Amino acid sequence: MNQHKDPLPERLRPIESLIREWLWIDRGRTIMLDVKRENLVEVARGLYKEIGAFFKTCAGVDERPLWGGYAVHHIFGIDEEGLDVVVYVRIPEKDYPWVPSIVREVPAADWCELEFRDLLGIDPRGRLTQRLVLPDDWPEEVKPLRKDVPYGYRPPRAEETKPAEVGMYPSGVPVGPYHPALHEPEYFELYVEGEEVVDVRYRGFHVHRGIEKLAESPRFDYNKVTFLAERICGICGFVHSCAYVMAVERAGKVEVPERAEYIRALLLEVERLHSHLLWLGVAAHLLGYDAGFMHAWRVREKTMILAEYLTGSRKTYGMNLVGGVRKDITPEKVPKILKVLEEVAKGTKKVADMIVSVPQVRKRLEGTGVLRKSDAAALSVVGPVARASGLNRDVRKDYPYLAYKDVSFKVPVYSEGDNLSRTLVRVEEIFESIEIIKQLLDRMPPGEVLNEEWDIEPGRYAVTSVEAPRGEDTHLLITGVGRPYRWRVRAPTYANIPALRPMLRGQELADAPITIASIDPCFSCTDRMLVIDVRTGKRSVLVTRPQVKVVSLG
Amino acid sequence: MVKPILKLITVAKEAGVVTRKYPYDSPLLTEEFRGKIEIDASICWGCGACVKACPSNALTIRESMDVRELVYFAGRCIFCGRCADVCPTGAIKVTKEFELATEELEDLEQVVIHRKVKCPICGKHFVPQPLGRYVCEKCAKGGVPTYMMVCPECRRKVGVKKMIRCKGG
Repeated sequence: MNQHKDPLPERLRPIESLIREWLWIDRGRTIMLDVKRENLVEVARGLYKEIGAFFKTCAGVDERPLWGGYAVHHIFGIDEEGLDVVVYVRIPEKDYPWVPSIVREVPAADWCELEFRDLLGIDPRGRLTQRLVLPDDWPEEVKPLRKDVPYGYRPPRAEETKPAEVGMYPSGVPVGPYHPALHEPEYFELYVEGEEVVDVRYRGFHVHRGIEKLAESPRFDYNKVTFLAERICGICGFVHSCAYVMAVERAGKVEVPERAEYIRALLLEVERLHSHLLWLGVAAHLLGYDAGFMHAWRVREKTMILAEYLTGSRKTYGMNLVGGVRKDITPEKVPKILKVLEEVAKGTKKVADMIVSVPQVRKRLEGTGVLRKSDAAALSVVGPVARASGLNRDVRKDYPYLAYKDVSFKVPVYSEGDNLSRTLVRVEEIFESIEIIKQLLDRMPPGEVLNEEWDIEPGRYAVTSVEAPRGEDTHLLITGVGRPYRWRVRAPTYANIPALRPMLRGQELADAPITIASIDPCFSCTDRMLVIDVRTGKRSVLVTRPQVKVVSLG
Repeated sequence: MVKPILKLITVAKEAGVVTRKYPYDSPLLTEEFRGKIEIDASICWGCGACVKACPSNALTIRESMDVRELVYFAGRCIFCGRCADVCPTGAIKVTKEFELATEELEDLEQVVIHRKVKCPICGKHFVPQPLGRYVCEKCAKGGVPTYMMVCPECRRKVGVKKMIRCKGG
């Protein structure tokens, strides 16, 4: 397996004896460690605890058509070296595949282990398991990401539905599950004792759309998947399409014109501008300061129009193709971009200053939803959430990609870990983004923007990370014939939602909405009160005012 | 408490009224906006390049005995404009139209109908007529070759027969 005779990096020496073989997938950037199944837990412990790597995600792959078994890829990142470490474990069993669970060593691996259990039937041994991604009525024997399940498979209609599980606490406040205007229905159940939140249960994946499976289907090819990747997210769609095309380009060794890399970086920053301004508005709205919401969105509208001017779509959609971008930023457009940036900088400064100076808003942000640095590191949180808790993590700095190596910018880091620091991180990032765009425009090299002469061999591998407004977005890609063989997407909110538990515990119930929103997910504000009878497990939802009154007096 | 309100008043005063009275006023569109597409039936060949490039299946081909229909359904369109990029004749134009709400589903559909060339030997219909004509023009320098308008199957049969005859068999 070790095709490149390059030595193991110094940082990985402590676990050298546990590695069977290593392979540099992308020299200096991605290394794959082939590890025996019985050594996996030791390797994970070494990487996470001793070497100080962060956990990115894991992916199960059905490799039966390739060599006859399954495999699990655990992706770690060593931020200081800018190195992605893929721990590759082969699973020879065809019928009941299993791997040892690493969740005790690496708490951040909790969800993705459950995900490959659901989608591929690979059992993570030595941990509690429950369904995460698949709906409750999905047939047990169908593992959708296995290659022998057709992509158009639809399960039969469920005849019986299971009653919902009952939590351990007497009263819970459900938050969710649907919000008609936002793209990510989530369901939180906050267990309360009086006003204090004592525990949180989360149920998500209501809108799992099977995009990874769809990308493997015959009706897609490398270029079409780009448009599918954009539709993963309604806010950071360009991030996903960028991460995907970069993965294809790295795997297939496709040359990308430098100008295209600059344009991509520029649009990523435009996206960050509009996303952070959107969040600022939503945060103000949740705190009851609607004037701040209106004004933040007024400023944001300018960035949306700028995005349309540069890409043809308000949502920066339809720009990327494998090998470059479809639209050039011509010199005539530059003065208008600079003018908009000037207006946005001025507007944001005033609006942000106005929002955080309102004493009621400030009081509710300060000291609420605290995420300690140790918790943040254990859960490998990403983006503004990590930076507000004192972790200096930014993919743009740590794993430079596109044109980010050529620009200078600051990464704002706060140590308090409360809602106010997460707000301030985002506000500062808006100004940094504006500076980055100016530098990119200044240094943009001339030339072509799209290379259409490429041919991609099957069986190549790539891992890419892109800093989305919400944090690090990681894509893993194995190339196939004409389309991806396996494509795994880990969006930033996936890494950040587990951090809500330590954030919310011990909080006042009234601060829960802003704390949930502070990781910048999209969440529902349909909250009603739920009563659970502990003895019978019977639940009822209170909808009328008199009912609520009786309980609150009672 | 007074200070933030004063700040708000200054910010609001500077911004003025920004809401437009859309739809009575024009929408906020830039010159780069991509909306639905329009297919010029007189230039289209019915080659299907756009169908192959369309990521969302908004463009499909319906084949019947003697007709090939290129169907554009705006309800599935994601306004990416890839079809216009790959169209060899430039028949597809991206317009700025986006106000597509309608009560009739058919309003969202545009169908380009191409009659197919009829094979003079077996009577089967094969390629769309404009595509056939284009191939004829491209290949024939001094007039249309004899078997140009014959379907591929008959052409193969005739070719084999001709070869046997040449060999004197």
